[in-house]
Amino acid sequence: MTLALHSRPVRDASVEQAVRRLVAEFSGSAGDRDVVRVVRTCRQELSGAPVDALPELVERLARYRLRLSID
Amino acid sequence: MGYVDVAGVRFTLPDGRVLLDDVSFRVGEGACAALVGENGAGKTTLLRIISGDLTPDGGSVARTGGLGVMRQFIGSVRDDTTVQRFLIDLAPPAVREAWDGVEAAELAMMEADDEPTQLAYATALGHWGDVGGYDVEVTWDTVTVAALGVPDDGCKYRELASLSGGEQKRLALECLLRGPDQVLLLDEPDNYLDVPGKRWLEQRLIETRKTVLFVSHDRELLARVADRVVTVEGGGAWVHGGDFASYPAARTARHERMADQRKRWDEEHERLIDLVRTLQQQAKNSPDMAARYHAMQTRLAKYEAAGPPPDRPPDQHVAMRLRGGRTGVRVIVAEQVELTGLMQPFDLEVDYGDRVAVLGSNGAGKSHFLRLLAGQDVAHTGDWRLGARVVPGFFAQTHAHPEWLDRTLVDLLWHGEPGRPGVDRGRAMAALRRYGLAAQGDQLFRSLSGGQQARFQVLLLELSGATLLLLDEPTDNLDVLSAESLEEALAAFDGTVMAVTHDRWFARTFDRFLVFGSDGRVYEAPEPVFDEARVQRTR
Repeated sequence: MTLALHSRPVRDASVEQAVRRLVAEFSGSAGDRDVVRVVRTCRQELSGAPVDALPELVERLARYRLRLSID
Repeated sequence: MGYVDVAGVRFTLPDGRVLLDDVSFRVGEGACAALVGENGAGKTTLLRIISGDLTPDGGSVARTGGLGVMRQFIGSVRDDTTVQRFLIDLAPPAVREAWDGVEAAELAMMEADDEPTQLAYATALGHWGDVGGYDVEVTWDTVTVAALGVPDDGCKYRELASLSGGEQKRLALECLLRGPDQVLLLDEPDNYLDVPGKRWLEQRLIETRKTVLFVSHDRELLARVADRVVTVEGGGAWVHGGDFASYPAARTARHERMADQRKRWDEEHERLIDLVRTLQQQAKNSPDMAARYHAMQTRLAKYEAAGPPPDRPPDQHVAMRLRGGRTGVRVIVAEQVELTGLMQPFDLEVDYGDRVAVLGSNGAGKSHFLRLLAGQDVAHTGDWRLGARVVPGFFAQTHAHPEWLDRTLVDLLWHGEPGRPGVDRGRAMAALRRYGLAAQGDQLFRSLSGGQQARFQVLLLELSGATLLLLDEPTDNLDVLSAESLEEALAAFDGTVMAVTHDRWFARTFDRFLVFGSDGRVYEAPEPVFDEARVQRTR
């Protein structure tokens, strides 16, 4: 298991990075606003998870939900 | 800080024998207590009861501060356990549980990447963080660097079996000493450690502020580290509140006190019985006496119901009688002896009556040298010879006798061996009784404990009529009392003794010290030398 070890104050880098990548990935199939909304919701729902694991968890969940909405 | 409080613990073996009865003691905050007792007295069972592995038939164990346990088998792990799994198993239960949760969630994600699985994974990670898992990972990193010289990432998938016994012990000790648990139970933590390793262990135990209860047979370690001694004997336990140096005197005084109390109880018992008998006679003639007779009967019944005080525990019946015999003055003469590839050529003369301790690093050829003198086939150059009337008797570490494993002790004694005449069953049992092995006479050699096997080997030496004892780590598996008995026997032995040992306490009873250096040099030292580095060989 690879886990980041040090706790840091919450930065919403998880949201920024996920939004940047998912907007590019879903351009043409989902609007930018929709992507931002889904990512923020995911971020909120995952607020109990360790900060350093958040970027991966948020992006993963948001991608899963965006795909479902397109299908 | 934590403590352990054992109250009235009783434990019965599957065969119905009561191993522990009404065992009570407390190891207070920050104490470093040694748990001692004969082989088979119930030390490991008691540790397992404290750790919760075994449920006692009666009594209770209270403890606070989280419990870390190092079991006896650590150092001899030969299965496919990885370093990571080993560290997890040493962690507190909550951490173990959280780790297993994360692993299960990761596995589930490989099967299905849906929303519930992702959220379960996030929850598992959250739980890992909540129980302090990230701090534990940092500790693991520190521990592996300290014990193995590499960070956790570099060794976590390595099999524990690829580490030496000493490395396994050190890894576990570093983990427990740096971990969060405040109470540590250590079952023979010094096994498999060489002398520098033991010194390191002593220092760490002296420094730690944790509460420690440890089992050890190493008297040097006991003397340096223990600030109290818990003794398991006669089915019970008692605590000596001082250090190990004052322990033997305290134990003797306690036994004398117990014997004295028991004697007084017996005397009073006899007196009451006599009084009852006398009053019984007198009561036949006088109604007044009849009332006194009944009162005395009641008093006797109450006295007997209260029961006698515990008798002193039976002494371990080990009476080693190594007789030996007069030999020529020169016992061993070695000229430019070199065991091929192990050491540089050296000369040695050993005289009748000498006590020579052979010290030095592991792998330097000490045991090979002893085997050469015992007449075994060992590749060497140079000359060596034994003096007139010198009969060597060889004590080897137990694994050196595969041919004994499936034979009973009486059978081994009855048949004899080249150089050791056989004895009939009566004599064999008498000899076994003197070595505290009467009950094991018809058991297979393999079923004996390490200490019992060692005692049996000393018995064989006695019967062989050896005049030169060649002993390879003779105290390794002996409990403290048996080791002292062996020392007494060696002191009384009329002959010459040469022993390979890492036991610092035992080594001090010798008067010459032959050191096998890690650089291949063999030299004599005026004092015991224990810090020769381990010999590095390509494997």
